[in-house]
Amino acid sequence: MSQIELRDVAIEYRKPKSDESFVAIRGINLSIDKGSFVTIVGSSGCGKSTLLLAIAGLIPRARGSIRVDGRDVAGPGRDRAMVFQEASLLPWRSVHGNVRFGLELQRWSRDNVDQRVAHFIGMVGLGQFADYHPHQLSGGMRQRVNIARALAVDPDVLLLDEPFAALDAQTREVMGNELLHIWEHDKKTALFVTHAIDEAIFLGDKVVVMGKDPGRIKDVVEIDLPRPRTTAMLDSAAFVAYRRTLRDYIAADMQSLQMIEDAA
Amino acid sequence: MAVAIEIERRRALSLARIVDRYYGPAVSTLAVLAFLLLWQFAATRGWVNVRYTSAPSQVFSAAVDVFRHDHFLHHAWVSFSEFSVGFGVALGIGLPLGLLLGSSQRLRLFVEPPLMALYTAPRLTLLPILIVWLGIGMASKVAVVFLGVVFPIIVNTIAGVREADPRLLQAARAFGANAPDIFIKVLVPGALPAILLGIRLGIGRGVLSIVVGEMFVSEAGIGHQIMTYGEAMQVNRLLVYALSITLFGYALTLAVRLLENRVRSWRPQP
Repeated sequence: MSQIELRDVAIEYRKPKSDESFVAIRGINLSIDKGSFVTIVGSSGCGKSTLLLAIAGLIPRARGSIRVDGRDVAGPGRDRAMVFQEASLLPWRSVHGNVRFGLELQRWSRDNVDQRVAHFIGMVGLGQFADYHPHQLSGGMRQRVNIARALAVDPDVLLLDEPFAALDAQTREVMGNELLHIWEHDKKTALFVTHAIDEAIFLGDKVVVMGKDPGRIKDVVEIDLPRPRTTAMLDSAAFVAYRRTLRDYIAADMQSLQMIEDAA
Repeated sequence: MAVAIEIERRRALSLARIVDRYYGPAVSTLAVLAFLLLWQFAATRGWVNVRYTSAPSQVFSAAVDVFRHDHFLHHAWVSFSEFSVGFGVALGIGLPLGLLLGSSQRLRLFVEPPLMALYTAPRLTLLPILIVWLGIGMASKVAVVFLGVVFPIIVNTIAGVREADPRLLQAARAFGANAPDIFIKVLVPGALPAILLGIRLGIGRGVLSIVVGEMFVSEAGIGHQIMTYGEAMQVNRLLVYALSITLFGYALTLAVRLLENRVRSWRPQP
């Protein structure tokens, strides 16, 4: 049963210092099943983050409808929680305080908030670091905090906007594995934006491939690899085939970009 | 043999650590002592005219005298209460106003030009008109202190709020923060270092304002005494009062700086 339904969604930005608007994405139709892990991949500027922010209710759409569990998305809601890129933690709050932040904003009863916070900090493996401040943590640890903050508010849908983009390749792989491990617990619907093809295949049940000018969905590729996923699968024939398909899609985009640059 | 070397090395290490920790304060203290010695020496050797320069020993005995017979506490209290009231009102008005202006661009467009003009204007030039309006008593001095303190607080608070990281605001909104939430949980804590900086700058300006205000026209207070002894060529006593007010400003500034360091502890150390 599909949990997130997008129908003919378009988003426009006003160009700075003019009345013209710029079409970020248009004609987006997408259904996401409850409990599935869907990744969105595309080259930079294809509007994949824009799409995610629209589902989060953080930016308005010019046209179309976005429904989560049948309810129209008009703004942020408790049913969705977002994991941002690195710098979205409050630097003056400890790990504990940052994970508590979402619960405070959603007015959770204070009775066992701290217990709950501690539980999720433990879940992402930062039990020893609850009193540390973000600047004392590595990039990977900061993203664990970010994930714990989103999980702690018990959302139905987890929206992740390139959460591992700032990490080095090794840390990124470890974090991907751990994210899947956490996700397997209760299989919340997850929507994960990335520009890394391998990451998109490794994590996703489906990979949504986006293209640009204007931002649109080129294809949705079903990933038929068994779960739990293992790093050994990265070299399997099936994985390599998926990688080739996706790379062709994205290379086409890069080619058109090259043509524009050549013309300029 | 090896043990001896080890002990020697440890001693050297701990010595290095001690030197490291106390190096700065030690040098500062030595500099002050050297200055006082030189001053005293120059006075006793007759290199300078003690009538104009005084000497540390004379200032010290003048201080004992002033504390005993010159109603020092009364004058200090007059200055302190004028400063406190002016400072308190400036904080009470400047802080909310700065927060408000920092978070509303429309208000800022409206208020910023006159505000910046007043911030940069030498406000002590307003002193004569304040005295015409408010008389020579406490009120005019409170007003001068207020004018000296309120602008650095407003301007720095605005800057602190405006520098709020848009990514933090977006994260807060994603978790359903309303406007008061964002204000209390993101904008104010983020602006706190800037607010404290404004307060620290305000203290310096406030102390200056109180002294100049009292020197200009008053019936009592530290500045009043400085002016009196200046006219009477009593440099010893003049310096006692000048030093007292300096120490007051210095201690207050230091206290705020310690607070700033605490607040900034979440930032990466430079």
